[in-house]
Amino acid sequence: MGIVFRLAWRNLWRNRRRTWLTAGAIAFSTTLLFAWVPIQFGTYDMMINASLKVFPGHAQIQRPGYLAKPKIQNAITDAELLTKSLRDTNQYAGISARAQSFVLLSSGSRSYGSQVVGVEPEYEGGTSTIPTLVKQGRYLSGIDAQEIVVGSALARNLKITVGDEVTLLGGSKDGSVAAAILPVVGIFKSGSNDLDRFFSEIPLRTFQEIFAMGNTAHSITVTSRNIEQQPQLLAQLARALAKRDDIVVLGWEELIPGMKEAIQVDKTGGFIFLGILIAIVVFSILNTFLVSVLERIREFGLMLALGSRPKQIAGLLMLESGLLTLLGLIIGVVIGSALVYWANAVGLVYPGMEELVEQFGLPGLSRIYPQIKLFNFLLGPVAIFVCTNLAAWIPILRIRKLEPVAAMRTI
Amino acid sequence: MIASSLPLLGTLGWRNLWRHPRRTLIILFAITLGVWFMVISAAMMIGLIEQQLNDTIFNLTGHAQIHHPKFRDDPAIEHSMPLPNKKLLETLDGGEVTQWSVRVRLPAIVMSERESRGVTLVGIDPTREIGLSFIGNPVVEGRSLESIEDNGIVIGQRMAEKLETRVGKRIVIMLQDKTNEVADRGFRIVGLFKAELEATETAYVFTGLSTAQTLVGMANEISEISLVTRSREKLDPLVADLRKAAPQFESLSWQELEPLVVTAMAVYENFIFIWYLIIFVAMAFGLTNTMLMAVFERTREIGLLQALGMRPRSIVGQVMLESLILLFLGVLLGNLIGWLTTDIILRDGVDLSAFARGTEQFKIGSTMYFIWRLEDLLTIDVLVIVLGLLASLYPAVKAARYAPVEAIAGN
Amino acid sequence: MPTVTLKSVRKTFGEGELAVNALNNVDLEINAGGFICLSGPSGSGKTTLLNMVGGLDRPSSGEITVIDKRVDLMDKGELAEMRLHSIGFVFQAYNLIPVLTARENVEFVIQLQGMSADMRHRKASDILNEVGLDGLEDRKPAELSGGQQQRVAVARALVSEPALILADEPTANLDSVTAQSLMDLLRHLNDDRGITFLIATHDKLVMSHARRLLQMQDGQIINDIQQR
Repeated sequence: MGIVFRLAWRNLWRNRRRTWLTAGAIAFSTTLLFAWVPIQFGTYDMMINASLKVFPGHAQIQRPGYLAKPKIQNAITDAELLTKSLRDTNQYAGISARAQSFVLLSSGSRSYGSQVVGVEPEYEGGTSTIPTLVKQGRYLSGIDAQEIVVGSALARNLKITVGDEVTLLGGSKDGSVAAAILPVVGIFKSGSNDLDRFFSEIPLRTFQEIFAMGNTAHSITVTSRNIEQQPQLLAQLARALAKRDDIVVLGWEELIPGMKEAIQVDKTGGFIFLGILIAIVVFSILNTFLVSVLERIREFGLMLALGSRPKQIAGLLMLESGLLTLLGLIIGVVIGSALVYWANAVGLVYPGMEELVEQFGLPGLSRIYPQIKLFNFLLGPVAIFVCTNLAAWIPILRIRKLEPVAAMRTI
Repeated sequence: MIASSLPLLGTLGWRNLWRHPRRTLIILFAITLGVWFMVISAAMMIGLIEQQLNDTIFNLTGHAQIHHPKFRDDPAIEHSMPLPNKKLLETLDGGEVTQWSVRVRLPAIVMSERESRGVTLVGIDPTREIGLSFIGNPVVEGRSLESIEDNGIVIGQRMAEKLETRVGKRIVIMLQDKTNEVADRGFRIVGLFKAELEATETAYVFTGLSTAQTLVGMANEISEISLVTRSREKLDPLVADLRKAAPQFESLSWQELEPLVVTAMAVYENFIFIWYLIIFVAMAFGLTNTMLMAVFERTREIGLLQALGMRPRSIVGQVMLESLILLFLGVLLGNLIGWLTTDIILRDGVDLSAFARGTEQFKIGSTMYFIWRLEDLLTIDVLVIVLGLLASLYPAVKAARYAPVEAIAGN
Repeated sequence: MPTVTLKSVRKTFGEGELAVNALNNVDLEINAGGFICLSGPSGSGKTTLLNMVGGLDRPSSGEITVIDKRVDLMDKGELAEMRLHSIGFVFQAYNLIPVLTARENVEFVIQLQGMSADMRHRKASDILNEVGLDGLEDRKPAELSGGQQQRVAVARALVSEPALILADEPTANLDSVTAQSLMDLLRHLNDDRGITFLIATHDKLVMSHARRLLQMQDGQIINDIQQR
């Protein structure tokens, strides 16, 4: 084995320039894939996070059917108790109860429709970033305070500012008219068009009072430390609520169903792109392998004449191409790691990204950090290793049909 | 000297390439694949942009709009405008504008027996919306609006599902009238429209222009004038004309109305250029390697050329000419196959309806279209040829540096 | 006025102890219209001398003048120019560009000189005719015999109307009949056109045609014999 290995290695360096160029092509594509895949998945994480952290949370507990048709009557009867018991386990990063309804908000001169949400001001910060996104005034002060915060576009449309009063008009749980006059204490700007144009928040108790909800609420929103722990979070909630058949636990896939398919579309597209890129590199490399075999036909003839078997020569060549690919892979992985390390340290931003994602309703999008998972790193290099070696076999297979005399006669 | 020596040098280059047909074909394939891929990605990207743009323009935006100067910031009744005067009509009815119409837009709340939602009530002139916006197309269920006096209402298909209502049923529209009083009125649903995006279907409900005006007491006032032109290129001078004809109003092109679409287009175009470069580098390795091999195996011949009195510069030219032929062929084939794929095979687009909710997230329709523009083809072709020549500069200079005597003596 | 002059030309390959003197202080004058043979065993410096004169290689020291110009002082471009217009080469083998036909090989040189297509065509035909290859103009080198290939090489060397033709073992790959006819051709051209020939060879047949025979050994000219 030692001799064969040494022979393969030295053969590789008989034509340095070609070896480096081929290794360079492999290194280039390896670098690209090695850094690309984690960043691609990191982007998804960021998109999911960005849309979840503003309002939906990592999981929600609701009554069955509420997600599809959010009727005010379809409320969790013991919401406050349940929330408290879950909170007492200290197992969740954030947990808060919410109630919501569609209302007409009127200022002196204007009326606009709005989604009003009853929240627990003390805990809402654990499941939503809206409390931190108040640009004017302040967030809600207490669970039964008589006050309201509204989205920035909604405030502009209503021509109201902090200190003004708005009239809230809707239908309460028992079917009667729900009405209240509340002072605006804060205006938030999330960057999401929908939230800023249609959302307003009031304290939960105030909500329950206005809408005759008693102690009920529509959803309990839960977050874990980060989105990657969501499967554990869902399992944990399912265990905690095993005895309850009147409620369901929903993950982000259900809460923002468009996102999952959007990622699916992007993933498919991304993999097609990478596949074709690999194909181009493989064709670039195939040539080198082909020529290096053809120009050595004479040498192989000599080896055959000396008693080598075609199989052994083919083995030698495979070893050579394997070594060459490995060389390129190692260089690529080193550069790729450096890139990923750098991206992980500083985070990536595209120019114009913020405006773009705002358009897609993903507010507060921050930098992209690569998703560090073994699969992400292995995918590219393995694909390249397999593809380039398969390419190398095409010329190698010709060796098996080689006749020594004919081979030695070729130039 | 150069001009008269081209034919024979060209013959020499061409025949040299076909001394190793397999090698030439493989690298040609890599170049073709790369160019094809660039063409396809560009066509896909442009398809997406165009589709987004068309959706935006067809989504009640038009190529340009005229408003009361304050309407965009605060779309309320008091910021409406009178019907176009004679001077403005002259510009609107001039040759450039293919279709224009006036509309009333009113923020409103729509209520069925079960649900209520915030919408924009749009009063339209149904016959003039044809070719101007999506509502000019026939409805999918029931009938379209027939005149400006039509007092039926047309709502989105998915809106009807949310409101749990259907054609023939009544819904209530609640809005503020001109005196800031809340007015409500029952409407019979006469038709359902369908749009690519759910957001569009749930954002707008349509009735006759006069009906809407009467409802809020606007007399002959309107909210906006929307128009489409013959060609997007001549839009800017047209908008300037509109500003001159109606200085008291705000005339804006779609670029100004939808800056996000413009940003998105810029980001895409930057991205696609980076993408070109990545693909190019992947194939450049192969090209450089192939040319290098072609030079190495011809050292003796290059020595002969030098002995015959060919200047080093001409030898560089000879090698470059060979790769120019290769690049030119690759570009030609790539363009041809690219055109075949986009204009023949995928002429009807790629159906993405399996990922409908995902494409919705990206604000694109469920069919992906490929559109190639001459300028993209030219960019790709010039880029590949120029950078390709750059990549073969190294082998060419290498060839010219051979000392003639070594080249001839070498076995 | 001599066509070629060498003054104390020295060429050393390698360095230090391994250094080999391929040419050792060679002085030589060749007059216009000469038909000179360089003979000697392999490694005696024949080819090196030929390469020096043709500007394919540079001397380590000494002066080389070809048609009034100092070859050793020229840059690459000037050398190329000189070879293109004043010197023709005939090598032992691999003389021709394999992908071009006989005619195209001949035309190649005058095309580099910038001659028009018409003239080129006519001239190439004439010269191929003169060297006895009419009818074979459109064959590629691989389709020609060794003797025919060398005739194409001679035609190509002639076509630029050089003052000097350098030939390195032109008959090495030829049988004696073909070699004889090639030498007849070269002598004929020498007589007819007054072109100076400098031929390196160890073929007795070639030497017998020489007007002046230079015998070389270990990088030096040891004998300078005028014949006939």
